[in-house]
Formats: sequence, C-alpha cells, structure tokens
Amino acid sequence: MAAVRGDATDEMLMVRYQRGDREAFVELVRRYNRSVFNFVLRQVHQPNVAEDVTQDVFLRVVQNAAEFKHEARFSTWLYTIARNLCIDQLRKLSHRKHPSLEQPLAQNDASRTLSDVLPDGHPEADAERSVVSAQVRRTIVAAVDTLPDDQREVFLLREVANLPFKDIAEITGTPENTVKSRMRYALERLKEALSDFEEYARALR
Amino acid sequence: MDCEKFDRVVLDLLYDELDELTNAAAKRHMEHCTRCRGIGAGLRATREVGALPLVEPPPGLEIRILDAERKLRDRLPLRQRMGRAISIMASYAMRPQLAMAALLLLMIGSSLLLLRERSNERNAAHVAERGVPENESETVAIVPITPQREKARAPAPLAARGEPDRVAKKESPDRAERRARSVAPAKRYAEPEPALGRLGGGIEEQSSGSSALPTDEGESDFGAAMSAYRDGRYAEAQQRFDEIAGRGEARAAEASLYAAQALRHTAGCPAAAPRFEQVHSANAGTQVGYEAAWQAAECHRALGNVSRARYNYQLLLTATGYADRAQAALSEMDEASAAAVAARSAPKARPKAAAAAPPAATAAPKAKKPAAAAGASKRSVEIDTSNAYR
Repeated sequence: MAAVRGDATDEMLMVRYQRGDREAFVELVRRYNRSVFNFVLRQVHQPNVAEDVTQDVFLRVVQNAAEFKHEARFSTWLYTIARNLCIDQLRKLSHRKHPSLEQPLAQNDASRTLSDVLPDGHPEADAERSVVSAQVRRTIVAAVDTLPDDQREVFLLREVANLPFKDIAEITGTPENTVKSRMRYALERLKEALSDFEEYARALR
Repeated sequence: MDCEKFDRVVLDLLYDELDELTNAAAKRHMEHCTRCRGIGAGLRATREVGALPLVEPPPGLEIRILDAERKLRDRLPLRQRMGRAISIMASYAMRPQLAMAALLLLMIGSSLLLLRERSNERNAAHVAERGVPENESETVAIVPITPQREKARAPAPLAARGEPDRVAKKESPDRAERRARSVAPAKRYAEPEPALGRLGGGIEEQSSGSSALPTDEGESDFGAAMSAYRDGRYAEAQQRFDEIAGRGEARAAEASLYAAQALRHTAGCPAAAPRFEQVHSANAGTQVGYEAAWQAAECHRALGNVSRARYNYQLLLTATGYADRAQAALSEMDEASAAAVAARSAPKARPKAAAAAPPAATAAPKAKKPAAAAGASKRSVEIDTSNAYR
C-alpha cells in the first residue's frame, strides 16, 4: 500500500481509494472526522448521536466511492452526505426530547453544561482565545443553537466546515446570494448575543 | 464602489473570497464611508470573537469508522466490487502514459509494415526510351556501368568490327553512355542475344521484353518464335516469324526482320542480304526499315559488295539513330579504299630501293606485301570472321 503524502488533495486520495488504496481513506478520515463531527454535533446536539452519524457519513463515502467523480470536490460531496444524514436524524429526533448542549448537566448543577464537559481540541483556537471566558463560549454556542435551521446550517458549513459560499449553495441547493443573506443574518444575531462583550471585541481589533 | 455594492460583497470580503481588484475597491470604500466601515468592522469582530469552539471527537471514533469501513468493504455486493474493479481498470486505461504507449506501438508497427513492403520491392526503375512513353512491360534494372561493361556494351555493329576502342574515342561520353543504356541494359527476363545486339536499341529492347512476357495469343506466337531464335533453332524461328509476318499482325514488320535475321544464321549473308533489302523497302521510313537497311549494308559489306553496302549506308544518313553509325561506316570504307590504293602503289616504288639492298633485306617488303594487302581488306576479313554471320 502506497504511503499517503500530506500534500495530496482530497480528490486524489479519493481516487486512490477507489483503486483500492485503503491508506488514502484513512487519511481522509483523519482530515475530516473532527469537522464533520462538530458539524453534526451542532445540528443534532447529542454527542453519541453525532458520533454515530459521523460514522455513517464515512460509511456512505465507502458505499458510494465508485460514484465519486474526480472533477467534484470531495468536501462538498462529504458535507452533502453529512447534511442529508443530519436532516434524517433530526426528523427522527423531532419527536423525542433531547438534551441541548447548553442544558444543565444536572438539576442541582446549573453552572455546568454539556458543552463545558466536551473536550475542546482546537489547539490554535485555544492559543488565540485563551482569554475567552467560558461565559463567552456558552453565549456563542447558545446563540448558534438558537439560530433558525437554515441560518445555522449555513453558519456551520461556513465556520466549521470552512466551505466557500459557492459550495454551500451547492450543498444546500439554494442560490449563493441567499446563502450569503442567511450568513449575514446569522452573524447579526451572533453580534447581538455578543453585544455585552463589545469591549472585548474592540480590544481584539 | 458604492454602499449598495459594498453590502453585496461584504461577506466575501470578510471571508477573503473576493478577487484582488474588488477587494481593494471595497477596502478603499471602507476608508471613505463611515457606515460601511462600521458594518465591516462589526462583522469582523463578531466573526473573531464569536468563533465557534470546536469539540474534539471521541478518541475511538476514528478507529470505529475504519473498522466499520473494513467490514463494509468485505460485505460489499459483487456488483459494487465489479464496479470498483472496472473503475480501477478504467482509471489505468485513461492514463495519458498508456495512451502514449499505445500510440508509440502503433507508430512502430506501421513503420515496420511499411519497411517490410519496401524491402520486398525490387531495385528497379522504369525508364522511357529516348523520350518515348514508358512501356508497362519493360522493366530495366539499374546496373552500375563499369568501364569493362561499357566496353562490352559498345554498339554491336562497330564492336563486331573489332574496333570498340576507336568507336569509344569517336563518341562523346554522354552519347556513349546513352547508347550503352539503350542498347545493352541488363535484361531482367532474358540475356541479350549476340546477334540481336546488332539491332537498333528501341526495336531490340521492345521485342525482347515483350517476347519474354507475352500478353496475349499473338504475342505468344511472337514469343515462341523469339524463344526458338534465342535457342538457336533458326530454321524454326524463321518459319514462325514468316508465319507471323504473313498474317499481317501488329508485329509483322518486326517478324519479317527477325525472319531475315534467322535466314542469315541458316543460309548466310548471300541469302539474307536481299531479304533485308526486301524488308527495308516494305518498311521504309520506319525503325524496322532502317534496321533492315543497316543489316543489308552490313551483309553486303561482309560479302565485299561495296557499292550495295555504300548505297544502304547512304540511305541511313538521314535516319534517326543510324546516321552517325552509317557515316562512320562510310568513312571506314573510304579509309579502307585509300589504304588499298596505297598498298597497291607501294610495291612499284619499293623495288628501286630494294635493288641496292642486300637480298636478305628484300625479303622484308616481300613479306610485308601480303600483310599490306591483307590490311587493305582487313575490314571485310575481320567482319567475316567475327560477326558470326556464318
């Protein structure tokens, strides 16, 4: 099995996996499992469900590997799968009450939420935002959670998956301008939520 | 850029998705417009402060995914496995290296085919004789002309007289080469007949080529006659040629000429000379007629019939391809006559000088006299013995 070079594009890795190179798939999982998990987690709000959905996303990639065309962008294809699975999962969960990330862990411990106990493995973010208080983080997560689904979806694809607006438009099946509008509204809402921390924002600038 | 356009591109500016020109224009606009500067700064601050903290996936997730992938691959239906195999093969087949290799093999293969076909071609050239349109049946191999070959290919009538060197000296190099090519090229189908070498180049080559490869029944008869002629069966050849000439076919004239040739072989020049003259008169003005006149002249000359020989040579002084030869023959005859006259006058002067000479010395002129006399008739004697007329 050929070694996977770090500069190989996602599409090259996928083509190699189509030819039977399993190491290429391992590399793809390493590159994307974190962002996919976060995207799914912010949609379904339950870590164990997010874990299962993330696994399903990659299994769908395996099942449909032969259909992948080299001309397509792998990330677009991957998040299209993830989005569809999230929608399916949300439909299933819609009839059930599920804990929110900002829901207190216990009745007698209102100060700690699920997001507080989840590990934050974003080292660069840790370095940059070491001064960001837990309160600010909770405010951000709460603001994102309260976004309308279409705005949250665009926000997550842009901020978590780091996809360009053009690809988000392709994944969501909406015009690019609509995507940008939704993103603008999402940012405005987040800005309102963060208005108490305006001084901190100014300091960052 | 105005505020309206800025509002459309502000998000692209925030996420660095603008091209350089628009990016610069948007930034310039922000410098002048307080409103847009405020919007841009607010969005940037929100994005920076409001960056969503990412959650690290559970440690076992990656392993679970890879295990599940392994199991799924093993459970893949045959159809999907075949699809994957086809995909793999297709991906190899579509590689440019493979296409280049296939193209290279194709080029090499076609080149080999062409080279093989070319190597089978005979080293031959189709030549037109003296500007005459090329004959399909005539194929002449190109053979390098060595001095010996050229000497051997010298025109038969003069070569037969034992003076090939002299002839070569008289002719210009170009002319000699042209004659050598036209009269005695290496024949592919048959070796040239010595007696036929006396014929004019055009007639001889045409008849020899076509006789060797008859194309129809008439040609077949002519070919059979030629075969008999070449095999030395002159009586049979003469009979066959006479029959062809009597039928008045396309090659009747040639046949009558060959019949006369065959007669010369069987009965000699005394019988052949009138026959040649007859062929000449029947085909006056044609190549066959000229050749017949030439042969008649040669026969008469061999027989010592100088006046008839001269007459026939003179007829050829205006004939294309024969004029030079006829002129040369006439000159030689003049020289021979002059030599004979000198030889006849020489014995009358010599006795006066010989009177004072010792008897032994007188033996020399006496001995020379027959030689001089022989020199006077040298031409005819040599022709008689060398031209194989008899």
